[in-house]
Amino acid sequence: MIQRWISGMLPSFTKEGCPKGTGWFLFSVFLFPFSGFGQNCSLSISGSLADEGTGIPMAYGTVYVEELQSGVAADSSGNFRLTNLCKGSYHLRFNHIGCETHTVFIDLKKDTTIAISMHHHNELVDEVVVHDHHSQQETAASTTINQETITEEANKDLSEMLQQMTGVSSLRTGAGVSKPVVHGLTGNRVAVLNNGVAQSGQQWGNDHAPEIDPYVAEHISVVKGASALAYPGNSLGSVVLIEPSEIANDPHLHGNVNYVFQTNGLGHTLNARLEKYAKWAAWRVSATAKVFGDRSAPDYYLTNTGKREYDVAAQLEKHISSKWEMKFYYSLFNTEIGILRGSHIGNLTDLQEAIGRDVPFFTKDTFSYKINAPHQTVQHHLAKLQSRHIFNEHQTLRLTYAAQVNNRKEFDIRRGDRSNTPALSLLLWDQFLESVYDHFFEHDRKLKTGIQLRITDNTNNPETGILPLIPDYRAYRAGAFAIFQEQKGHVLYELGARYDLTDLQVVAISSSLPREIERHYHVFNNYSLSAGMRWQVLPQLKLNLDMGHVLRSPQVNELYSNGLHQGVSGIELGNPNLKSERSSKVVLTADWNVRKKLFVQVLGYYQYVQDFIYLQPESEFRLTIRGAFPLYSYHQTDATLIGTDVLASYEPIESIRLMVKYSFLQGDDVRNHKPLVYMPSNNLFGSFAYTFKDGKKMKNSSVSINGRYVFKQNHLNADQDIMPVPNGYFLLGANLGTSFKLKKATLRCSLRGENLLNTRYRDYLNRQRYFSDDLGWNVSAQIGVTF
Amino acid sequence: MKNTKKLLWALPLFAIALLTSCEKNDPVIPNQEEIITTLRYTLTPDGGGSAVIFQFQDVDGDGGNAPVITNGNLASNTTYSGSLLLLNETTNPVDTTSNEVANEAVDHQFFFQPSGINATFAYDDADANGNPIGLASTMATGAASSGTLTITLRHQPDKFATGASSGDITNVGGETDIEVTFDVTIQ
Repeated sequence: MIQRWISGMLPSFTKEGCPKGTGWFLFSVFLFPFSGFGQNCSLSISGSLADEGTGIPMAYGTVYVEELQSGVAADSSGNFRLTNLCKGSYHLRFNHIGCETHTVFIDLKKDTTIAISMHHHNELVDEVVVHDHHSQQETAASTTINQETITEEANKDLSEMLQQMTGVSSLRTGAGVSKPVVHGLTGNRVAVLNNGVAQSGQQWGNDHAPEIDPYVAEHISVVKGASALAYPGNSLGSVVLIEPSEIANDPHLHGNVNYVFQTNGLGHTLNARLEKYAKWAAWRVSATAKVFGDRSAPDYYLTNTGKREYDVAAQLEKHISSKWEMKFYYSLFNTEIGILRGSHIGNLTDLQEAIGRDVPFFTKDTFSYKINAPHQTVQHHLAKLQSRHIFNEHQTLRLTYAAQVNNRKEFDIRRGDRSNTPALSLLLWDQFLESVYDHFFEHDRKLKTGIQLRITDNTNNPETGILPLIPDYRAYRAGAFAIFQEQKGHVLYELGARYDLTDLQVVAISSSLPREIERHYHVFNNYSLSAGMRWQVLPQLKLNLDMGHVLRSPQVNELYSNGLHQGVSGIELGNPNLKSERSSKVVLTADWNVRKKLFVQVLGYYQYVQDFIYLQPESEFRLTIRGAFPLYSYHQTDATLIGTDVLASYEPIESIRLMVKYSFLQGDDVRNHKPLVYMPSNNLFGSFAYTFKDGKKMKNSSVSINGRYVFKQNHLNADQDIMPVPNGYFLLGANLGTSFKLKKATLRCSLRGENLLNTRYRDYLNRQRYFSDDLGWNVSAQIGVTF
Repeated sequence: MKNTKKLLWALPLFAIALLTSCEKNDPVIPNQEEIITTLRYTLTPDGGGSAVIFQFQDVDGDGGNAPVITNGNLASNTTYSGSLLLLNETTNPVDTTSNEVANEAVDHQFFFQPSGINATFAYDDADANGNPIGLASTMATGAASSGTLTITLRHQPDKFATGASSGDITNVGGETDIEVTFDVTIQ
């Protein structure tokens, strides 16, 4: 057979620098049909698998033909060949350890060669768990969450899903609001990229969750390294990526309908997704609806903790020519979240009365779906247009424009009929323009450069009748970056640099009379540098070293907050003299694989942040008509964060898997010689899973039991909190799942139990631990059809 | 290809346009109609005589200038009729917030907590459920003493809680709308 294989063609189409890419181009598949005499049932499909990020062939992947229910394995060079095929339509499924499953449709008329580039998650960032055969248990343990898990756990929000990764925790405000904490940092210090665009919401608030429906994603990953330079945003390194897949090249209508019921809060979640590679364009639409009522702690209802969420997303892709692709994406996120009634307080006296109560104030003994004040509503629109130009085999250019609108309203309990008038009402819009140029050189060298421009505009709506906590502002940002990669034998090197210019205009209202408009201007020049190395020391041992120096400019809330922050019952004052934070981080990862039975991953990191911005309580109190309030203001110090994430997974036989995960983190304020507050507690997770042999109809059946122990946060001085730090706790969970193969569809059913012992506990990172216990037991039942 | 090149040229132009575009508009100063700037507690002796006024005034709200607090001296062994007035002086004309409290009487209650002074308080008004409000009250002073008086206004308290109707704040919950403390001398 003639191999009309032009190896140079492959990288030019597919190298996208993943997972540092934007998530749009996960897979690129190009068909090169042969001309020849294809007889019935003597046709073949051959091709090879390669890493999308580096273009390097990927050995020992598998190809599965759904129609034949059989497949072949690729050889050590990533080549595979399917023979004795009849004329007709085939769905091919490609798998490789550590990669997303990729499906390709082929209408086979003659011998065909295809090039598959797999989205691999290990590229100078931390590693994915690798065992021989793929099951969702293992991906859940990795730094990537795949689509099956996202669908099965569709009733969770983004941050709760991320929490199952080692080194990632959730900063929560009760049951409905959570935001990811990666290696001890959160909020403005962790960039969240939705479909390649930095999420631009009110990220400053601890009670503001990222406005993203995880169901749109094919996978969600966390880059815990220090060198995420290609990403716009203002992080100190860590990045959360929410990446929808490219629409599979398949002319049939495919989709998924999914429903989850959960007992705690009597919550319903319904998802649907449809996609088709139609002649005019490839399209996908998805929608999510969530309705939850009051959640419950082991002993009582958490009154007013219901939630509603309605999201839609649409994706269009058009290959205009072999050198030009256009993509469009739109998503709308829409939510209303109730805040525990008993956590709403007027002043410090109320706080002292409310904290540590056995049962919170205003607890009702009946369940309700109703959401009253205090509550928050958020709408978030994201529209993105992307054009990709392939100049030749080695050069590609990607232009992206994205617009976001975020409308947040927070409602408090107010006098008169004002509870229906928001106490905080912010309208933010953001526009983003990016140009990224990729150049592949000979000898496995790659250069990626880009420029990014962004405007963010934030306006307080005066409907509140309250002087705003954060002022109106407009920020202009311009950034440029360059990343160079080279593969030399068993070592992959990466070097990167980035420069950002931020021009911030703040328009505030004076706090004294007569009210005046105050204008402030700031310019920040930030640069970032990174270097990384991936070294395959032995076939079973891999080392990753990642170093980065990153600057983050202070955000508006840190500079100009002025007012009462209800949740903490304190008055927060910004500090206009803040400088940029300078972070240096080193991450070292070792992956060790023993005969594909034992996999151990150890990740250690050290981060030093010079001029770390934090909120410090002042010695004075501010006297107001509501009493005296503690005063907090933003200060800078030097901080260190040292931690380790350990993961070990053991498979004595193919059907049994044991897994242990451990996270340790210590944060210190080295200038003032005291611990940092709000650092995640150390935690230990263990699970035991049994996978049943696939039957004729029932496949992927497994049962598992897991336990999580969260240690008490002992690394904290007694005077650093208004209430003693909660004790450690143990939560028991279990999962049960199976899939049924139907004629043209797969039916998936699963049951998931959380806190099955109904343990009473409070978590250090839950801001409502002052007022109530955390959630009691919960069982989620899921049923989904994929066709 | 040509189009792409044009696009490439357009990028820096776009950037310049962005960076030199107009200033952010002035924000609209919100009309703070809910804020309470002033609490005035007027104590009129039952036997006649001039009234004593205790006042907490913070005309620019939280922050800005510090509040102005007016304390007063009371006579011993005297019964006073107390009336509370709440004002929002940021609006023009000045808004009488105590009317709003009276309209939502079932959702509000004042509490009077003396400390170190010989004085007792009694409510002199009631809401639709027969529970006290505190806009009108009676204060009976005893022997000469000095100390403080804390006046608290709770929003959405449990007015049926144990002790609430006699002025015990312990079990009522709710949110604090006002909490001011005056220095009091009984001569």
